[in-house]
Amino acid sequence: MRQRLAAYGCAAFLMAALASGCSSTSVLNVRQNPDAVLQVWIREPPGSAAAATATRMVKDFSRRTGVRAKLVALYDDFETKLQQQAAYRQLPDIVINDTAQLGYMQSQGWLQEVDRTTFPGGDRLYDRAWTAAQASNGRYYAVPFSAQTFAVFVRADWRARLHLPPPRTWDDLARMAVAFTKNDPDGDGRPDTYGLVIPGTTKRGYMSWYFSTYLYADGADYFSRSPDGRWLPAVNDARWVDSVSWLKQIFCQDKAVNPDAINIDTPRAHDTFEKGIGGLYLTGPYMLPRFVKSMGSNKIEIYPVPVGPDGSQPGALAEGENVYLTQGSPNRAGQRRFAEYVVSPEAQTLGMDGDNAGPIVRLPISKDVDMAAVRRDPRWKTFQQWYDQAGVYVTSVPNWTPFRQLSADTLNAIMADCGSDVKADLDKLASEFAAELKRQHVLATG
Amino acid sequence: MATPTNYRSAEWQGNTVEVPRQRAHSHALEPARDDEWGAPARKRRRRRKKPQWLIAWLCLAPALVLFTYFKFLPMLQAARMSVYEVRPYLGDRYVGLGNYHDVTTNPYFTKAIWQTVLLAVGTTLGSILLGFVLALLTEGQARHLWLVRTAAFLPVVTTMAVVAEVWRVMYYPSRGGVLNTILGWVGVGPEPFLVSEHQALLSVILVGVWRGAPYDMMIFLAGLATVDRNLYESAAVDGASRFRRFYHVTLPALRPVGTILFTLAALRGLRSFTEVFLLTNGAPNGSTEVFMTLLYKLGLEQGQLGVAAAAAMVLFLATVAVTVSVNVWRRRVVRK
Repeated sequence: MRQRLAAYGCAAFLMAALASGCSSTSVLNVRQNPDAVLQVWIREPPGSAAAATATRMVKDFSRRTGVRAKLVALYDDFETKLQQQAAYRQLPDIVINDTAQLGYMQSQGWLQEVDRTTFPGGDRLYDRAWTAAQASNGRYYAVPFSAQTFAVFVRADWRARLHLPPPRTWDDLARMAVAFTKNDPDGDGRPDTYGLVIPGTTKRGYMSWYFSTYLYADGADYFSRSPDGRWLPAVNDARWVDSVSWLKQIFCQDKAVNPDAINIDTPRAHDTFEKGIGGLYLTGPYMLPRFVKSMGSNKIEIYPVPVGPDGSQPGALAEGENVYLTQGSPNRAGQRRFAEYVVSPEAQTLGMDGDNAGPIVRLPISKDVDMAAVRRDPRWKTFQQWYDQAGVYVTSVPNWTPFRQLSADTLNAIMADCGSDVKADLDKLASEFAAELKRQHVLATG
Repeated sequence: MATPTNYRSAEWQGNTVEVPRQRAHSHALEPARDDEWGAPARKRRRRRKKPQWLIAWLCLAPALVLFTYFKFLPMLQAARMSVYEVRPYLGDRYVGLGNYHDVTTNPYFTKAIWQTVLLAVGTTLGSILLGFVLALLTEGQARHLWLVRTAAFLPVVTTMAVVAEVWRVMYYPSRGGVLNTILGWVGVGPEPFLVSEHQALLSVILVGVWRGAPYDMMIFLAGLATVDRNLYESAAVDGASRFRRFYHVTLPALRPVGTILFTLAALRGLRSFTEVFLLTNGAPNGSTEVFMTLLYKLGLEQGQLGVAAAAAMVLFLATVAVTVSVNVWRRRVVRK
């Protein structure tokens, strides 16, 4: 009897404790403390040169403003760790992360709104960069920090050895990939080289992120906009089918892709290119200093992805980093001062890190910074021009992340299974897109 | 006279009778005696029982408090979350069984369940078989056997992250990969291993077996050490061959060890996460997606904590079902 009573007692205690755990959800009324240390999270590998640049920047901020701040650099599963913090309502005060994550963070109520019109120095930032800080409801939830686009890093020595022309068409690219695979471009007599280096894992939607530059270059897009401002899936139109089939040909018939492409993420892909396993790597300008240092400057050429067979104008994925101010901070004044600081010419210049290996500002978003004055390597200029001329930001649906994941899953599946039917798989993806658009309440009718 | 384990023989009133063990202790068999102060025996027992009861709970208390805080409360919290759309910054919304509907209709759900079962069965059976063979091979007192056993045990004490990294390198899907080089010597390959949707799960199972077998080997070795040597000798005297001795003496003696290993491994198999997460993360084409990776993706990659909690509850129920059915099965076997 007593034991039973004890058991009931325990159960009652547990229920009481549980009930107390489900208390109020108001995270906005946090007592303010101007001396609270700002937690600044940036998505860079801990201990990397980029993390060191970020640390310098945060220290410079504290020195100039007197606001105390601490930098945390994290790379692997960055969003997952944010999600864990959010589950306990303990988000860092400042998050420096991809522009494409805006919807993901905003739709969960993590972010403070930023008033572009009254933001000090806001008029000195490029309009385009501001666009990437705008949510689907037209409001701004971040301050732009850095911009970039993507282009193909080509092994100049391999191309010269095989007497191949610079890639001007998709056929040129495919031919070069095949030649790099079959014609022993490194001259060691062994068939141990490949053409394209692809980070094709589904993790974080990498496969879709990688391939989007090709899609934009071929005139394809993920959505088409209806007159009422809503969206329809466009992932099964002819341009998608053609581009995906083109890549599948290189994967399956030519076998001119790094053999572990299906499973690797970007850090491994960087290594693959760096070690001379592959010779054509579509990536961002932030890799330039590292590759120049480790491989030698004369081995690297940069070419934009050529306009695709179905495309009419240049296109490449444009993205960048935003500075996000989170809800529930005990130091909102400090958050705002940090945001104002990072767009200043001083912070932008510091973040660019010259021609060194740790640029956290890839292309500056401030009109008051001249990139050519800070960086001497002319290859940066290629990225700047291509960003201005061809950059396409992802569609500002309320939350882009599930679409990137769904499309990455499908593209990964198509490349993993050479017997797949591209059109059928993309039709299936389109219906998944429609369901997700509906879930986000932005599916156009008809 | 042979003495079955559940009974003990008692000489009583000149007859040999078999009485259940509990009844042998009951006072019906011995007259109640008053103690030296004249208090009846029953009262005295009750007085003694109270502090014992208290001491037992006091001893349990530290563990119970820790378990309550770190296990039971989070479990109850998960049960609550499973019926809410969890939005820490916007306020949770009650959705009833909606999350359970979402998770069970997820296109990967059924696939993940089957693959989890396949992975669990494959890894469990593979580890037990290989562990058993290893145990038979390395049983003995010799010094070199001790060395071999230690070497064989190393995979168990190595971090899974390191194991996964090493195997990724070994599985490299071109001629230059370690395993493919070896296969090349016998004219096979190159095999794609982790990048083929037909081979990925098997490759993950192989890593699990490689890592799990030495652990099973140790448990089997402990089991082998308890086998009564006399039984071997008697069987040998009776003319039993080496195989018959193994079949009729060793195997039956190891049955309890096998059952425990099987239960533990099956439960571990259902919850396997690290190796899959690090080797393939569910790819290619979802062919290695298991329950835990799906749960992780739902909760922490897609931010649907409520749906993930519902998935966790489903897994919890499955684990309970497995444990209970194995116990029932074991009891039946023992009764027979």
